[in-house]
Amino acid sequence: MAEFSATVYQNEYLPDGGTDVNAIVTITCVGAGVAGQTGAGDAGEIIIIDTSGSMGDLEMEQAKQAAQAALAEIVDGTYFAVVSGNGAAFLAYPHVRTGPGMVRMSPQTRAEASRAIAQLTSGGGTAIGTWLDLTGQLFYSVPQVIQRHAILLTDGENNEAPEVLDAAIGRAMGVYQVDCRGVGTSWKVEEIRRIATNLLGTVDIIPQPHQMSDQFRDIMRTSMARGVAEAELRVWTPQGAHILFVRQVSPTVEELTSRRRPINDLTGGYPTGAWADESRDYHVSVRLAAKALGQEQLAARVQLVIHEQVHAQGLVKAKWSADHSLTAPIDEQVAHYTGQTELAAMIQEGLAAKSAGDDATATQKLGRAVQLAEQTGNDEATAKLRKVVDVEDAETGTVRLKRSVERADEMALDTASTKTTRIRR
Amino acid sequence: MGAAGQPGAELEHDMSDAMATSLQTCPRCGEEVPDGANFCEACGTQLGEVTEQQAQTGLKVEGSESSPISRPTHLLTDTGEPATRRPCAECGGTVGEDLYCEQCGTKAPSEREHFRETPASWVAGVCDRGAKRTRNEDAIATVASEAPGERCVLVVLDGVSSSVDSDVASLAGARAARDVLRVPTGHGLGTPESREAAVRKALTDAAAAAQGAIVAHTASDTESPASATFTCVLVEAEPEGPVLWHANIGDSRAYWVPDTGPAVQLTRDDSAAEALIAAGMDAEEAHRSSQAHAITRWLGRDTEDVVPTIGRLPLIEDGWALVCSDGLWNYAPTPAEMADQVHAAGRAHPDDVEQVALALVQWAVQAGGHDNISVAIARMGARPVGETGSQTADPADPEE
Repeated sequence: MAEFSATVYQNEYLPDGGTDVNAIVTITCVGAGVAGQTGAGDAGEIIIIDTSGSMGDLEMEQAKQAAQAALAEIVDGTYFAVVSGNGAAFLAYPHVRTGPGMVRMSPQTRAEASRAIAQLTSGGGTAIGTWLDLTGQLFYSVPQVIQRHAILLTDGENNEAPEVLDAAIGRAMGVYQVDCRGVGTSWKVEEIRRIATNLLGTVDIIPQPHQMSDQFRDIMRTSMARGVAEAELRVWTPQGAHILFVRQVSPTVEELTSRRRPINDLTGGYPTGAWADESRDYHVSVRLAAKALGQEQLAARVQLVIHEQVHAQGLVKAKWSADHSLTAPIDEQVAHYTGQTELAAMIQEGLAAKSAGDDATATQKLGRAVQLAEQTGNDEATAKLRKVVDVEDAETGTVRLKRSVERADEMALDTASTKTTRIRR
Repeated sequence: MGAAGQPGAELEHDMSDAMATSLQTCPRCGEEVPDGANFCEACGTQLGEVTEQQAQTGLKVEGSESSPISRPTHLLTDTGEPATRRPCAECGGTVGEDLYCEQCGTKAPSEREHFRETPASWVAGVCDRGAKRTRNEDAIATVASEAPGERCVLVVLDGVSSSVDSDVASLAGARAARDVLRVPTGHGLGTPESREAAVRKALTDAAAAAQGAIVAHTASDTESPASATFTCVLVEAEPEGPVLWHANIGDSRAYWVPDTGPAVQLTRDDSAAEALIAAGMDAEEAHRSSQAHAITRWLGRDTEDVVPTIGRLPLIEDGWALVCSDGLWNYAPTPAEMADQVHAAGRAHPDDVEQVALALVQWAVQAGGHDNISVAIARMGARPVGETGSQTADPADPEE
C-alpha cells in the first residue's frame, strides 16, 4: 500500500501588513507498487506510432523497434493496444472491429502485437487529434482500466488546425496521461508540449532514430512503476484568501492554477496523475488579509487525496512579526524554485523571440536564463544553453546568440526548459 | 511550605503519585511532557487528573445549607456536559483537528492559552493569553453552588513572566487553592467570631495550598523560580445575608460592583506604587513611577510570607463580584472605570454570565492586550430591569 508524506518549506513570518505567503510542499510516495497490480483496478497502456509519409524508412524501422521494446516492458496482465496514426488513426492491435479495443498482455498477445507492429508502413499526413480521440475510445471500451497511459511518437508538424487539436486534447484531459516524444527536428515543440502538459505527461526530443528504443523502454518502465493510478492535490485556503498560484516545480514546472476543480467554497483540487515511488514539489502562493502583529493563522492546508481519502497533509502558516530578522529571509526552497520557474519562462520566451527574428529580446531573455541556471545550479540547463548562446559572463547574464545553431540543440533546450533541479536539503 | 493544612497535605500526596510515572507522553500528540505538567507544550492538550471537561465547566458543589465542619467531598459532582471544542473566536467557524479554524484559518488557542470555567449559571471565569504575550501565565479556578448567590469561590493567580514554568505553577496553584475552598467552611460554634475565624483559616490555608502547589512545580535549583500573585473571593450565605470574603497577595484585584452606587476595589495591591502611597507620595505620582507595577509580595519558592490580606464585605445589594489580574485592570485602573466596563458587559449579555466575563477579556484585548487577562465573576441577585428590558423593550417582560 502506497504511503504519502508531505513536508512544507516556508518562512511563515510576515512583516506588519504582509499578505503573501509562499511555500514549497514536497509530497513523497513510497510503496507505490506496480501499475494495475495493487488490487485497486487495472492498468492500460496504448502505444501511438506516427506512420505518416514523413517517416523515412530508417525512422520507421527504429520506431517499430522502439514500440516492440515498450511492449517488452508492459507487465503481463496489463491491458494494451497499439495505434498507428497518419491523417487518421488506426487500431494496429488487437485485431478487433467491435467490443473492447484492448487486450491483456501475455506472451501470446505480446508476440501478436509485435508482428502487427512489424507490418506497419508509412504514408499520408499527420492528424494527431484523431490519434488522441481513438486512444480515448479504446480506453473507454475497457471500463475496468482505471489507470490509463499512452506513449505518443511523432516526427512532424500536425496538419490539423490548432483548435481541432485543442478540442481533442480537451476530450482526453482527465481520461488518460500521455508521454510525448518527437523524433528528428521537423515537429513543433510548442505543439507537442501542449499535449503533454495538458495530459500530465512529459515531452522530449529524440534527435537520432536509434535512441528511440531506449527512450520507449524507459518511459514504459516508469509508467509500470506507477502503482497509484490517480491522486489529487487539494488546497484549502481561508475565507477571504486568494490563491495567487499553485504550481508543480519539481521534477518539472507545471502550472496548475487554472486546472482547479472546486471542491467547496474554500478548497480546490488539482490533478496530479499517477504516482510511482517518487517525490514532487509544489509551490503554493496565497494572499491573505493582513492580521495584527503576533497573530498566527493557517494560510493553506495542502493535501494529497485519493478517492476522497486524505493521504498526506502539509500546513502552510502565517505569523505576523515585527522582528525584521524573522520576516526578511526568503525560504531557500521558495527562492530556488522561483528562480527555476523564471528560468523555464526565460528559455521558452527567448527561443520564441529568436525564431521570430527578435534577436535583441532573445539575447536578453537567454542571458537572464544563463544567469538563473548558474545561480540555481541547474547544470543541465547551463549545458544546453551553451549550445545556443556564447556566454561571456554567466554571473551577469551577458551572452551572444550563436551564429549557427543545430536545430536539435535548440529543441532540446526548449523541451528541457521545464526540468528543474533540487537543492540539497 | 510551612502552614499547610490537611488539604495541602493531600495535594502533595497526589502530586508525588503523579510524579511516580516518570515518562509521561501526551495522549493526543505523543510528545514527551515534563512530570506533573498540566498541559502538553506541543499541542496544548490538558493532561493529568483534570479533564478538559472539568476545565471548561468547573465543578459543582451541592447545597451547603447544613454545613458540617468537615464535609465529605463525594458530594461534588461533575456537570456531565460533553467536552467539545469551542468555535473559532474570530469567525465562529469550526476548529479542525489541527487546531486551525476550518473557515478563516485562525489558530485556535490551546486550552492553556484560553480557557473558561462556568461552574454554575451565575459564576464564570475566562483566562486568556492576551494579544502580546507568548504564553498565558495567568490562571483561574472557580467553584459554585447550583443555587444562585449561595456559595462560590473565585481564584485568580497571575504568574510572573520572568520566572520559569510559571504557567504550569500558576494553574496548579489556583486549583489547589480552589480545592481547599471547595468544601463549605465550617462555622465553628456558629457565633460571628467563630465563623470569621474559620473563614480566615480557610483562606489562609488556600493561599498556603497554592504556595505548596507552586513550590512543587518549581525545580529547587532554578535561578528564577515560578512565582505568582494570589487573589481569592469567597461568597457565602450567612444568616444575615450573603457575605463576600476576599484575600490577596500581590496585585490581582477583587472588586464589588453593585448595580447602583459606586463600585469598590476590595483588595489593596501589594505593589511598589501602594508602598509609595503608604509612605506619603501622591497617588497619581506613585502610579506613574517606573517601578509602580513591581509587586512587593507573591507566592513562590523564593518567599515565605504567604499569609494573604483578608477582608469581609456583607452584600446588601445586587451586583457583581469580580476578581481579575492586572491584564484587565490596567485598562480600567479606577473602580469607576471598572464598573463602567462591567455594567456594559452585563448589559450586552443579559442571559449569560460566561459571555459577560468573555466580553471583559475581549475588551482588554481590544484595548491592547499587553498582558495575560483573567476575569472571574459572580452575579449576586437578579439582573436589573434595565439589563434585560431597556434594549429589547419587551412589554411582556414580567420583571419590574
